[in-house]
Amino acid sequence: MTRRQLATYIFFGVVVILFAISVALKGFFVTFGAFLTLAIFSFLYDDNPYYKFAEHLFVGVSAAYWMCMGFWGTMVPNLFGRLYPPMVGPVIPALKDNPSDPFMLIPLILGIMLLMRLSSKAGWISRWALAFVVGTTAGLNLVRYLRSDFIQQISSTAMPLYVTNSAGFSLGETISNIVIFIGVMCGLIYFFFSKEHKGAFGAGARAGVIVLMITFGASFGYTVMARISLLVGRMQYLLDSWLGMIG
Amino acid sequence: MKHKLRFAAVLLFLPLIFSPLLAQEGEEMQDGLLAEMQIEPPPQAVITVAEDMPNDGGHKLTVRWEFPKEFTSSVVRFEVYRAYSPDGEFVLRGESPNDFYEYLDIGDREEESPNYMPNDSSYYYKIVAVGTEGVSSESEVGGPYKTYGQWFHTGKVPLLIAVILFCIFTIYFVLSAKGGKELYIRPLAGIEAVDEAIGRATEMGKPILYVLGIGTAAEIATIASFTILGRVAKKVAEYQTSLIVPCYEPIVMSVAQDIVRSAYLEAGRPDQYDEDSVFFVTNAQFAYVAGVNGIMVRDLPATNFYLGYFAAESLLLAETGNAIGAIQIAGTDQVSQLPFFVVACDYTLIGEELYAASAYLGRDPLLLGSLKAEDWAKGILMVLMVLIILAVLLGWDAPREWIRVNL
Amino acid sequence: MTNGAMKKQSLVERLQYIDRRIIFAFIAVAVIVPLLIGAQLKEKTTPIVQAMFDNVEGLPEGSRVLLSYDYGPTTAPEIQPMVDAMVRHCAERKCKMYMMAVWATGHNLTGETIEGVLRPDFPDLEYGVDFINLGYKAGNQGLIRLILVDFKTMYSTDANNIAIDDFPMMENITSLRNFDLIVSFGGGFPGIKEWIQFAGDPGNIPIGGGCTAVGAPNLYPYYPSQLVGLLGGAKGAAEYENALIIAYPKYEDYPMAGMSLMVSQTVAHIVIIFFIVFGNVLYFILRARGMTKEGLGGVR
Repeated sequence: MTRRQLATYIFFGVVVILFAISVALKGFFVTFGAFLTLAIFSFLYDDNPYYKFAEHLFVGVSAAYWMCMGFWGTMVPNLFGRLYPPMVGPVIPALKDNPSDPFMLIPLILGIMLLMRLSSKAGWISRWALAFVVGTTAGLNLVRYLRSDFIQQISSTAMPLYVTNSAGFSLGETISNIVIFIGVMCGLIYFFFSKEHKGAFGAGARAGVIVLMITFGASFGYTVMARISLLVGRMQYLLDSWLGMIG
Repeated sequence: MKHKLRFAAVLLFLPLIFSPLLAQEGEEMQDGLLAEMQIEPPPQAVITVAEDMPNDGGHKLTVRWEFPKEFTSSVVRFEVYRAYSPDGEFVLRGESPNDFYEYLDIGDREEESPNYMPNDSSYYYKIVAVGTEGVSSESEVGGPYKTYGQWFHTGKVPLLIAVILFCIFTIYFVLSAKGGKELYIRPLAGIEAVDEAIGRATEMGKPILYVLGIGTAAEIATIASFTILGRVAKKVAEYQTSLIVPCYEPIVMSVAQDIVRSAYLEAGRPDQYDEDSVFFVTNAQFAYVAGVNGIMVRDLPATNFYLGYFAAESLLLAETGNAIGAIQIAGTDQVSQLPFFVVACDYTLIGEELYAASAYLGRDPLLLGSLKAEDWAKGILMVLMVLIILAVLLGWDAPREWIRVNL
Repeated sequence: MTNGAMKKQSLVERLQYIDRRIIFAFIAVAVIVPLLIGAQLKEKTTPIVQAMFDNVEGLPEGSRVLLSYDYGPTTAPEIQPMVDAMVRHCAERKCKMYMMAVWATGHNLTGETIEGVLRPDFPDLEYGVDFINLGYKAGNQGLIRLILVDFKTMYSTDANNIAIDDFPMMENITSLRNFDLIVSFGGGFPGIKEWIQFAGDPGNIPIGGGCTAVGAPNLYPYYPSQLVGLLGGAKGAAEYENALIIAYPKYEDYPMAGMSLMVSQTVAHIVIIFFIVFGNVLYFILRARGMTKEGLGGVR
């Protein structure tokens, strides 16, 4: 055994003992949470098996969690519970006396059609159900987007460029409205593909790029803030919930 | 008779004689009685109308009434009662503040709801003005007032116009493109760089890496990326450079294989197509990143393309590509990922530019037509905004209200 | 060139390509030290957060507020402080709180609020009378669209599978239109945008939001016509807490999660800004010496 191997074994021994003490003092789940957090953090140094273990555990657990929630929260009460309520009686007694709804056969059939995707021969059947989903979603979204992101946004952008309030002329609001208006117009010019960006139109497009870059900068800054918040949250868990070092 | 009169007189005066005593014994009770005698109920409200709420299914009525303003302070609130007939049971529907002579009675459309208010029915109302000391006065019964359901929501007219216009534009331009009409799309910087980047890879004798993102084959960004991949693969075949396409999704991989194979065929070099150039890596997001980054570090491609749907892996990929010194061209419709591509790549197709690039390169009538329709929608939007702003500046606020979708 | 100049040059170059793990270490220290000190940082409330606060403050007693938990444990450190602050505010205003989730992962986080805020600080509030946990339902924006017209089709039971009609506060709730305010927490998909598109705009219902900082820039355009207010990231939470303290001074010495988060956040931001400036200065020095290489990043 080399010295390096010996040092590694000693290190692991110490870590195992520390975690064992933690389990005794703080309980298994808090300790396991801390272990997983540290395992993920270890990636900052380099890729390693602990990181891989934590990552795979996370992927597997979250997939299973969504599936369970979907089954017990939606399939059971909203599909089986309405198709044949006595069936869910033992799990959700509140629903067992509800009237049966034969229309729920339609989503059931569509659902089964979607699952046909798993079969190599009958896979094409799933396309019908998928077409239904895509068609309905596209129809719903067309109207919603036109309303919320198009028409409503026009009226939100077309603000007075000279604002007066009870105190007289409002410089702040005026500048704010002008910036919004110019920003939107230049952004739209940039994304206008039917005309080459030359002359005044080109100048508008260049201003549009500047507006976009400022937006991306702000977005980048916000992302940094979000990531640091998550880091602080994890640190709070390690220092407070696990080690009890805060307050 | 005289005795009777005297007896009556004594009876009449007895309370007066004993009044101080009574006052001592039941002062509070007397005060209450006196107060009640002095307080007068507020005047009656007069129901003027109950109008059907426009643009609904017929389950709402707006009740209005009149009340003398000088008595506002003597009223705490108005209570609104409703019945199905003038002599039926009046049920409390709600309250209105003492200075507001209007109440919107909202019912439910479901029959089983306790708040059910059937469409096309008659209702009778009564307003109770509740005074300051609990005394109140009831109005005369008003009615019958009817609810009607409307077939057409007039507040949604702007939306209808927008939908019709957009559909007309799309159909017209798609048909025009199919009919062979030349539709102009301006050249995009990112796309012009494609040929240059492929040429650079050829000169350096290094491969080209094409990443389709982590979207499914149904994702619009992935579909747009497929078109660009076709163009890139054709150029690669012409220049005899090698291409690496690591895939995240099995279906995306099989589509990509078909595209690259056809591109080599189109370029007249089907023999040079390598089946293994388009391959599946893994379906786990960060494992996929690790895999692609590994390829980058080992094979050192001269040019990297990241076109399609991207999430948190965008920066991880672009940063590694930047570190190996590759020319990088990226494009996605995911706004939150664009900043990362912008800082780490040489060219970035921002949002809609990805679709435009796909239409520009592929010349597919459906894509071209939709893009043109969108341009027209944007044009109308710009003109509308300028006109409304001008109107508002001239002190005419009405156009701003016209386009608002009133719901 | 002298030896001294060579040495100096290599130092600048070495600093330009500093090992990223050193930066990680700086960030770790910047985050941990303020946490150990346990300070709180007050944030001046910005108009967009104040608008959200004023909206809740203006709700009469007994108003119905729907709180949608559209996030998961991965973003909980950012979102949970704002949820807690708003639930506390709603409880102070004696509003009726309806908790639901469009995200499966939001389901369990409702429990965090109930056990962490309502039970200890508002013991008088009763489940089913003052607040209710309706749990998660699948369907994304389809769910929102459906409950806009018919609430009980999807919510026939609460999260604990008890019939919905057994709860007094569910009386007269037939659609989303019965709510005085809907607040979605999250900012991902489905989230605030879908609540605006599928409930707020078509139903004319006031929508408020609390989102991760990543999602905030995409949601600002909806304020103020389609969003009554927006809390963006930990800073939004801290601003809301500040508004709460001003309106309810009893919370002056209360430990506020958002405010304690902001100390570490600020120090970490300063460290990041320092490294950005430092990296750029080195870059310009190297460029002046003609030593930059095309395509090479600053950090490896």
